[in-house]
Amino acid sequence: MGKQMTEMLKGTLEGIVLAILAAQPAYGYEITAQLRAKGFDDIAEGTVYALLVRIERNGLVDVVKRPSEKGPPRKVYSLNTQGRAELDEFWKTWGFMAERLETLREGDKK
Amino acid sequence: MAAKWIETVTGSLEEKKQYREHKARVKALPTQYRTAVEAIERYLMYFGSITKGDVMVTMLDDLGDLFEQAAADGTPVRDIVGADPVEFVETFLANYSEGQWINKERQRLIRAIDGIADAEM
Repeated sequence: MGKQMTEMLKGTLEGIVLAILAAQPAYGYEITAQLRAKGFDDIAEGTVYALLVRIERNGLVDVVKRPSEKGPPRKVYSLNTQGRAELDEFWKTWGFMAERLETLREGDKK
Repeated sequence: MAAKWIETVTGSLEEKKQYREHKARVKALPTQYRTAVEAIERYLMYFGSITKGDVMVTMLDDLGDLFEQAAADGTPVRDIVGADPVEFVETFLANYSEGQWINKERQRLIRAIDGIADAEM
């Protein structure tokens, strides 16, 4: 992944993870796997995990521990009401940004 | 009451116990994960300067969770920390900034500027 991509992703990864959790509850590794499947190949599991810790500390998700076949219980994250509101806000901001940037690009083409 | 008095001198005994448990947990990890956790912890101690014991213990606990799970899944260390381990550690550390020594100074700076801005209005 290019440097610019990494920088842009940094600002939007929280929204992306919230959007994944809006579809269904998931644990850390599942989220990383889904991101990779969607084309974010180089994403590190630790980065996603650090983000999950943050959204948990900010009260955007509910967490339950579910036993796993191997290893320690997995923490399953699900979006709560506050997280839903945060995600709606993210999409609004994203829409605004995309629209502004598109206007700039149109100007650039002329 | 004696316990309380000792704790004011030595720090929380409960936190010490949790710290020892964390160390035992790390020791039980397969070599490559253990080595990675130890390297990350070293950086966290140097760079993080977390002075609040409870925040530190929570942080180490979270780090332990990540690596225990990754070891169970057989996730390669590179896939956990990514191409830039510094980036990962600093993102991780940002979650515990309330426990950092520098946070006192951050709050002080914010208050100083707030005070000036209020007076300007």
